[in-house]
Amino acid sequence: MKLTRRAVLSAGVAMPFIGRTAFAQSNTIAIGALTPQTGAGGSYGPSMVKTIRAVVDEVNAAGGVLGRKIELISENDETSPEAGVRAARKLIDVNKVSAILGTWASSVTTAVAPLCWENKVMLFTVSGADSITQLPHQGFIIRTQPTSKLQSTRIAEFLLSRGAKRTFVMSAQTPFAVSGFNTVSEVLTAAKTEVLGHVIYDPAKATFRSELEQAIKTKPDTIFFNSYTPDLTTLLRELYRLGYEGRKHTMAYAANAKLLEALPAEVTEGLTSMAPSPDVDSPVYKKVRDILGTSDPDPYSCQTYDHITMALLAIARAGESSGPAIHGAVRKISQGTGTKISSAVEGLKLIAQKTEVNYEGASGPCDFADTGDIITCKFRFDVAEAGKNRLLGIS
Amino acid sequence: MENYLIAMTVFAGIYAIMALGMNLIWGLGGMVNLGLAGFYAVGAYTSALVTTKLGLPIYLAVPLAVLVSALVGVIVAVITARLQGDYLAIVTLGLAELVRLTASNEIWLTNGTDGISGVPGPWRGVLSPTAFNSLYLGIVLCIIAVLFLVLSRLAASPFGRVLRAIREDEMIAAVAGKNVLSFKIRTFAVGCGLVGLAGALFAHYSSYVAPDVFQSIVTIHVILAVAVGGVGNMRGALLGAVIVIALGEATRFLAGSLDFIAPSQAAAVRESLIALFLIVVLNVRKQGLLPEKTPVYSEEKR
Repeated sequence: MKLTRRAVLSAGVAMPFIGRTAFAQSNTIAIGALTPQTGAGGSYGPSMVKTIRAVVDEVNAAGGVLGRKIELISENDETSPEAGVRAARKLIDVNKVSAILGTWASSVTTAVAPLCWENKVMLFTVSGADSITQLPHQGFIIRTQPTSKLQSTRIAEFLLSRGAKRTFVMSAQTPFAVSGFNTVSEVLTAAKTEVLGHVIYDPAKATFRSELEQAIKTKPDTIFFNSYTPDLTTLLRELYRLGYEGRKHTMAYAANAKLLEALPAEVTEGLTSMAPSPDVDSPVYKKVRDILGTSDPDPYSCQTYDHITMALLAIARAGESSGPAIHGAVRKISQGTGTKISSAVEGLKLIAQKTEVNYEGASGPCDFADTGDIITCKFRFDVAEAGKNRLLGIS
Repeated sequence: MENYLIAMTVFAGIYAIMALGMNLIWGLGGMVNLGLAGFYAVGAYTSALVTTKLGLPIYLAVPLAVLVSALVGVIVAVITARLQGDYLAIVTLGLAELVRLTASNEIWLTNGTDGISGVPGPWRGVLSPTAFNSLYLGIVLCIIAVLFLVLSRLAASPFGRVLRAIREDEMIAAVAGKNVLSFKIRTFAVGCGLVGLAGALFAHYSSYVAPDVFQSIVTIHVILAVAVGGVGNMRGALLGAVIVIALGEATRFLAGSLDFIAPSQAAAVRESLIALFLIVVLNVRKQGLLPEKTPVYSEEKR
């Protein structure tokens, strides 16, 4: 055969497929990663897969699970429910994965979930919408991200710990505004403190003077801003001009460095903020830091590290690699009275010796309710002092 | 594997129905409607809402979704009656965004960004996943066959001729005594109704609708399908829709087999390959793969 340029080119194109089919026949355990590599979540996906890949490589180097190597198949959900469904179809029907890890956007998770429970594939997600675990998922969803209900509860408890007696809430118009307020309000009134009112504002407005005056008229000692950075910038400036001297609290994504730079220190002084936090003291967190080469890994990458570790431990514990096997065993390795472990390889060794284990992850203790929701998680609290955030504590 | 191929064919079918609608409005009528995703959403939400909230059966919900989308199409056509080209494109693009924002914020009706889950599918749950998939594919293919026949007939009819005349020069069509506005409105109604039908079919297939589904990328994909297939040719619209889905899936396997690059790079490779293919096709064949064949009426034939 004459070696023409065309022949070389077509061989080059065909080559990866040949290799793929040859390897696919070997006896591996297929696990799917479905993360956003493009679209709105595109900045998170790459590091999420990186932590999953790191665990898979480590476990494979140590001999795999049940004597089989792990084959990780990564797909891009494009932060779109439709593209996510197509990718999930491919993972489930072509690659025969027993678990899908890392769906990020709530809409993608909700779209992919029915495919997972119909085909008995386990879904591990980092999406936050409360509605996800209310789906009829028959236990095929595990969620490591705290729900907005858990977050709102912790906010209210924090406000109480700071001495809030009369609280006013201002929320940007979002799907979570009302449910978030209701939860905060429940906790505050249960502790016999007053909730003075709630204003939902359009964050695109240029001024919030009338909304703030409405709040100040009620004489609050604490105002909670469920806001984003741009609107919070305006709100704080106007609040300062109105001479308010009480406590102010917000979400950490709003009270970021950008906000603190944009406003004079006296305007932001004393502003407290909260964010779900990875367990920064845990050895697993330090490992994720090394994998990603950053001192401050994002919570989603910590969570996907936990997803893959739990999936593999569950497979080992169940003694088989199917979706229902993971479904049945995931709580046996993540909670309970077993030996506390912080890595997949360590856990696999113990499970092989028939020792019960309890995985404590990078994102938190990884204990799950029957709904699939995480029971508890750490939060970090900061306070702005002289234009800089100071860590108040992690709890 | 079969399930995957069946599912992808269903998606291609849903895109094909949208492409047929787009081809009628843009290909024949020459009106650039970038609001496609909006009509897709109207159809999907209508069908999802009346089945989940009012308990209407699917066979009534889908025609209702078509009607509502067609009605919205009529309203848009009347509002934009005096707009052409870029201006029409911008207004319709805005309309799609309006629909998406409404779906995100009117929580009492649409459940906001959480979307509506548990939209029923025909015998879903009774049938095995494979049987449901196959049944749905059958339904979608039948619908496409009927639509294709009717639309091809329509394109060749006097109605189609007038549309092409309007596309080439509105003024001349008007001088020839045709009521341009009436033709435009009817075209919008039928075209948008078809896009709404695709939306309803999507809702009952995927069982979930949310604002995120209806981003403008859907419109772009359908425009690509029509452009690659051949603007003005119904066969071209079908071929284009199949190509858009096939290309997206083929590049998935190709990029996925490149083990040595990171997933984010694979995603970039995939998008570059799709772009490259489209650029090459549209450079080599400007009229699309199946160009429009305008019937020639010669003196002898009469």
